[in-house]
Amino acid sequence: MRILITSAAAPLAQQLATALRPEHEIRLTERTFVPNLPNLAVSPLHHDLSTNLLVREIDALVHVAEPLPTDNEIEQIDYLTRCTYNLYLAAVAEGVKRVVFLSTLDLMTPYAEDYTVGERWRPLPTTATTVLTKHLGEFVSCEFAREHKLDVIVLRLGKVVHAETVANQPFDPLWVDERDVAQAVNRALTTDAKLLSTFHIQSASPNARFSIASAKNVLGYAPVYDFQN
Amino acid sequence: MKVLILGGAGMLGPYVVPLLAPHHELRVTDINPLPFDFAGEFRQVDVANFDQVMAAAEGMDAIINLSVLRQDRQLAFDVSTRGCYNMMRAAVAHGIRRVINTGPHFAVAGPTYERFDFALSPDMPPQPGTNLYALTKALGQEICHVFSEQYDIYVQTYLFYNFHDPATLTPGTDATPFSASWSNAMEIFLPGLAIDLATLPSRCEVFNVFTDMPHGKFSNEKAKRVLGFQPKDDISRLWHKVK
Repeated sequence: MRILITSAAAPLAQQLATALRPEHEIRLTERTFVPNLPNLAVSPLHHDLSTNLLVREIDALVHVAEPLPTDNEIEQIDYLTRCTYNLYLAAVAEGVKRVVFLSTLDLMTPYAEDYTVGERWRPLPTTATTVLTKHLGEFVSCEFAREHKLDVIVLRLGKVVHAETVANQPFDPLWVDERDVAQAVNRALTTDAKLLSTFHIQSASPNARFSIASAKNVLGYAPVYDFQN
Repeated sequence: MKVLILGGAGMLGPYVVPLLAPHHELRVTDINPLPFDFAGEFRQVDVANFDQVMAAAEGMDAIINLSVLRQDRQLAFDVSTRGCYNMMRAAVAHGIRRVINTGPHFAVAGPTYERFDFALSPDMPPQPGTNLYALTKALGQEICHVFSEQYDIYVQTYLFYNFHDPATLTPGTDATPFSASWSNAMEIFLPGLAIDLATLPSRCEVFNVFTDMPHGKFSNEKAKRVLGFQPKDDISRLWHKVK
């Protein structure tokens, strides 16, 4: 499968590229040049032919949707709204069938911790830029799924870490290992789920904040890292 | 009341500003000069410029956002989406609790509603679709909603669509079932500024603003019930057969 991964400057995007490359043909894109990245396509995601060319002959997008380190709050909003709109509109025009949009479980953390919050619960975004922008990105994704029948898989991620790196830190119930995220993305690329489907992606820990039952049942997500040791 | 008007030189400004000027102390802003006479305070403000919006909101009691940009993709997001973000940040910073936002009816009732259903209410979950105008305005509205959830700010959003001048109607031609005369529709801003905020059902309320129409496609019941909006029978010749 030919996959375009956005937000190439983000470590998560690079980790996904490495993890998915054995099974897929991977292209990375970013709004600015990022050194030492193979198959990087620089695209400002403007409303022009260059965005169409970026997604031409791509089978699926993995929209990591992470801002550049230099982005201010206004630029972050712009990326998750206007640039996402341009990217999706080009994708629809070029026949891309599927988008995996990476969102955040921070949209659900305002609920009481003793609630078994699942994907059918209403998101509770805050005005924190990183949360608000992901919410707006989900909003745009939803409308493209609704109107253009684009298959959009939204993965709401916990705090993405590397298990060995946090081994000596107090357990955080939002943790999810980056390799498990890559597994979830890979499953999302090939799932039969249609239109808009949302999944919460956490670790396998019994103390994880949110249930991953839906991701297990529908995607076949089988996380390896549980942070129990 | 000291009222900041954003986008005062647009389609609605020439009706809203003269209506409110006798009752309120207005600070009218726009990126462009006003195309009508106004003796009060005017500032050139780009709603997409955070610093300019922040400065314009200082000392105000309420903000009315009339700004819109429909066609250019960059500007539509700058004005209709990020303009709302700037407005709400300014409202938070200056302790402004009353905000009135505006938009088209399809910021809520996009084609997935309008093609299929009737009696469409402003309280439905928004389905704007991907039309640039509808989606950018809906995103702006969603930003207002999130801010109203987190801060003690009341946002009223007035949805409009078709406006008519009763003097230039073509009788018997029917009308978009979300229509009003310019003057009648703009009257909604007077109760919107006067209403006791504590009487609003929530801190984020959306209203369909159009006259009473027999089509049954949309509902304006909430605007009448909550804000006391009084539709006028001044464009009904549109849907009456010519005898």
